[in-house]
Amino acid sequence: MFARLLGESFARNPRRKVLTAAALVIGMAVATATLTIALEVGDRLAREFRSLGANLLVTPESDTLPVEIGGVDYRPVDEGAYLNEADLGKLKTIFWRHNILGFTPFLDLPAYVSETGGATTLIGTWYQHEVPVPDGTKFETGASATHPWWKVQGRWFGDGADECVVGAGLAQKNPAAFAIGKAIHVAQNSGSGSGRPLLITGIISTGDAEDNAVLLPLSVAQEISGHPGKFRQLFVSALTKPADALAERGERAQTDKNIQLTPTEYDRWFCSPYISSIGFQIRTVLPGTDVHAIRRVAETEGRILTRVGTLLWIVTLAALGAAALAVAATSATTVLERRAEIGVMKALGASNALVGGIFLAEQVLLAIAGGAVGFFVGVGMARFLGESVFGTPASPQLILFPVVLALAALIAMIGSLVPLRRAAHFRPAVILRGE
Amino acid sequence: MATVVQVENLRKEFGNVRALDGVSFRVDAGEWIAIMGPSGSGKTTLINILGGLDTPTSGQAAVDGTDVARLDEAGLTRFRAEKIGFIFQQFHLVPYLTAVENVMLAQYFHSTTDEKEAQQSLERVGLGDRIEHLPAQLSGGEQQRVAVARALINHPKLILADEPTGNLDEANEDIVLSLLRELHTEGHTILMVTHAPSIGRLADRRIEFAHGRLVQAAATSLKPELA
Amino acid sequence: MMFWRLVLQLLRGNRGRLAVAIVAIVSGAAVISALLNLDLGVQNKLTQEFRTLGANIVISPASGAPAHISDAEVPSLMPEHDVLEVMQQLPPTQVAAAAPYLYIVARAQNIPVVVAGTWLDQAQKLDATWKLEGSWITSRADDSHCLVGRNVARRLHLAVGNPLELHYLERSAQCSVAGIVDAGGAEDNQVFATLRAVQSLANLPGQIGVAQVSVTGTAPVVADYAARLATALPQYQVRPIRQVAEAEGALLGRIRLLIVSMALLILILTALCVLGTMAALAMERRKDVGLMKSLGGSISRIVGIFLAEVGVLGAAGGLLGAIIGAALSYWMGLRVFGTAISPRWEVFPTTIVLMIVVALAGALPLRMLGNVKPAEILRGE
Repeated sequence: MFARLLGESFARNPRRKVLTAAALVIGMAVATATLTIALEVGDRLAREFRSLGANLLVTPESDTLPVEIGGVDYRPVDEGAYLNEADLGKLKTIFWRHNILGFTPFLDLPAYVSETGGATTLIGTWYQHEVPVPDGTKFETGASATHPWWKVQGRWFGDGADECVVGAGLAQKNPAAFAIGKAIHVAQNSGSGSGRPLLITGIISTGDAEDNAVLLPLSVAQEISGHPGKFRQLFVSALTKPADALAERGERAQTDKNIQLTPTEYDRWFCSPYISSIGFQIRTVLPGTDVHAIRRVAETEGRILTRVGTLLWIVTLAALGAAALAVAATSATTVLERRAEIGVMKALGASNALVGGIFLAEQVLLAIAGGAVGFFVGVGMARFLGESVFGTPASPQLILFPVVLALAALIAMIGSLVPLRRAAHFRPAVILRGE
Repeated sequence: MATVVQVENLRKEFGNVRALDGVSFRVDAGEWIAIMGPSGSGKTTLINILGGLDTPTSGQAAVDGTDVARLDEAGLTRFRAEKIGFIFQQFHLVPYLTAVENVMLAQYFHSTTDEKEAQQSLERVGLGDRIEHLPAQLSGGEQQRVAVARALINHPKLILADEPTGNLDEANEDIVLSLLRELHTEGHTILMVTHAPSIGRLADRRIEFAHGRLVQAAATSLKPELA
Repeated sequence: MMFWRLVLQLLRGNRGRLAVAIVAIVSGAAVISALLNLDLGVQNKLTQEFRTLGANIVISPASGAPAHISDAEVPSLMPEHDVLEVMQQLPPTQVAAAAPYLYIVARAQNIPVVVAGTWLDQAQKLDATWKLEGSWITSRADDSHCLVGRNVARRLHLAVGNPLELHYLERSAQCSVAGIVDAGGAEDNQVFATLRAVQSLANLPGQIGVAQVSVTGTAPVVADYAARLATALPQYQVRPIRQVAEAEGALLGRIRLLIVSMALLILILTALCVLGTMAALAMERRKDVGLMKSLGGSISRIVGIFLAEVGVLGAAGGLLGAIIGAALSYWMGLRVFGTAISPRWEVFPTTIVLMIVVALAGALPLRMLGNVKPAEILRGE
């Protein structure tokens, strides 16, 4: 009988039901969309920040003092320590290997370029290079990943080719010689003969020391310098989680013997992508290195990510609140305007509990149905939002499905309870009189 | 005597149902007509058409020279405001307006509001001390008296009353009926729908309806009606 | 006047029914105005945060840095005076920090080491991530102290208070280590002293190698300032440092878009709530509409009264919500960024207008009341 009453109650006044359903669907769609985005947004923003470039720097542990101005090392080739290019594949074997988005080795050397008639700095590096990884795969990386703001007029040099990219400063001083398509001749010093010809494929302008240097493939620089398979420093771009108290303890524990992490703390620290734990893991696979966070980038990123993350969660909560209000309001007004029905049922002898039960059940069922449809609409909304804001659609989080349904049911119940309790106190005559 | 209402072969159909089936009659100025008959006979439909609240399917219904059948929406709106004063069985006062505001509402839709005049009209019906009351604070009889004041405020040519005492108890019924008698004495033209013969006898003429047609006209007026 | 009296009575008489709509409008307005305030505030705060990335404009001599630096090589230079004078003239409010630099490669304990002469008070602002053991050099005239990077300190076995002797060509200078810098970058390998001291050591009075400027503002603001500097200093190179500007711009864009999208969603939901309430209300008002029509009220006038009612609701709710939102954004600014975000006056009228629009959109059922046929409502039989 209850089911029958419920069924009949459902079938009445379809137009009003449509409005109710619309409110429920949209309300829960918004809830789904905002929650989906909120769960992913931290990750996406972290990726955005990688456009700032590398956040870790790897250098040889025992080294002479780098003579570095504006990011370029001016030491002569026989001074200072080197690292092995062959070891680099191991970076993709650490625990957080999937967070290593890219790395780029650098070998700066002072050399002689015939066209300048004097000494010019060469910067040997990768733009896009395939690194063999110990598990048999290959990982493509280079300055395209760690220095994304490096844009050239023309094109980048081919990996390992006798090509180069010259800085805009050099091109400005001598536009005839330093133009795309021309060749320059490079040797280690002025007395080494005519020099190795390199084809200029592009001109770079960064605002930094690269503007007065020549960038060329690492292998060519290694040959010219007489140090095959070596490099001086490595820039790493890693996807990290903003530092918190545990991260700082973990970092200090590296150098300060007085600070020890408990085994659980250590596990948590190791298994969280803090910049300090990733740095630690890199040092483990690259022995003889110093790994440091490029603090300017890492700290700014950390601070902004934390702040923005908090902000977005607050906004998400606001949106959820609005959705809840919409759903509750819909339930409440539905019950309110059907006071006449309630009056009739009570006049016919139905108890408060039965009447309340029928309406409650109806509202909750409607809410669950609306929630289910709303979930799918919300997934679509999240995809669209993700696409327009971040460029890639947000993936549906299936775990939200039961959450959204439960939320819908709960809110509908709360929304209906208040007017139902008030209606329970009315005498049928009052309701039927139309007051 | 001027003719206030001239109805000629009036028909109103709702789908297959013929609510009015060729009704013709006439009302002169100052007459108090009682329209009587069983429920479903077409009385309320007739009143709605004469009041401009509904349009006939065919035929003529002229009130103070204006054929309601030919009016468009804008014309009907003006007609309702200027020519007619309606008194309903359920009073139909706006629940969130005070008594004087309910009267002023009629003024508002007619032309301009005049609170003094509205107050005076309420005093006229004996509600001078209830001016600021809300309908919920008035008895049934008082509410209907406000409705009467409202119906009169724009000096209508025709007063239409649909079972004016149907929702009132005896005491209040008497009050309202004596009010209507006063209006009749003052020369207003009143068309009243009622099912109670005792009330119908108060009128100058009675017009009987059945199945959408005039059945019989017991009258004391000068002109006999066509059957 | 009667019109507004009617509207007022409508609102007063229906307080209960309108409760949900009122709550929806006020809370929607509060959130919207908070988000709007935040949007403006977030931009400012974030661009300030980004300033810790360092300089975003660099001024250098036309011929650029030297191709090869050794102790014997003289770096490319520009007169300090020229550059700094121009920088003084252009609006200082956008400039968060600006400092001239003179880099030379000197020798300490017979090891080549980069020495940077600058205004250390400004350098500190340019690079807010420096950690210091010891004390800063606050005066630009202090020639007797220097700061050393931690790698230099390690290599040369220096501690705070130790003396450091620097040799450049045939000249030399002495200074006392005031502090050891942990910069987490290239500065760890450098020695810092006042500009005057380094100019004196290198015998290059009044010359600098490069000037770095940190400008607050979005990418277009930075580019504009750089362009103005370039026009005022045609003989030198003025360039924005692209690493910073681009990332900043993209990120800010994304965050704002996200906030705006959320705000839009909330607006839609508010409209829905209002719609729901109005639909229920419309049912109850059918009788009143029929009555008013019977009194000679035209559709436009009757609906006009209802729309005015809803409009007033939107305006009043919008105003109240805007005030609450201003307080909310103030609190959120404190909570999220550590500094209060002061509400902007433009947000008030914007919120109120938005809420009026939302309310009117949700009042669609009331507009449809215009189609009510009076006869239907008043049929007694």
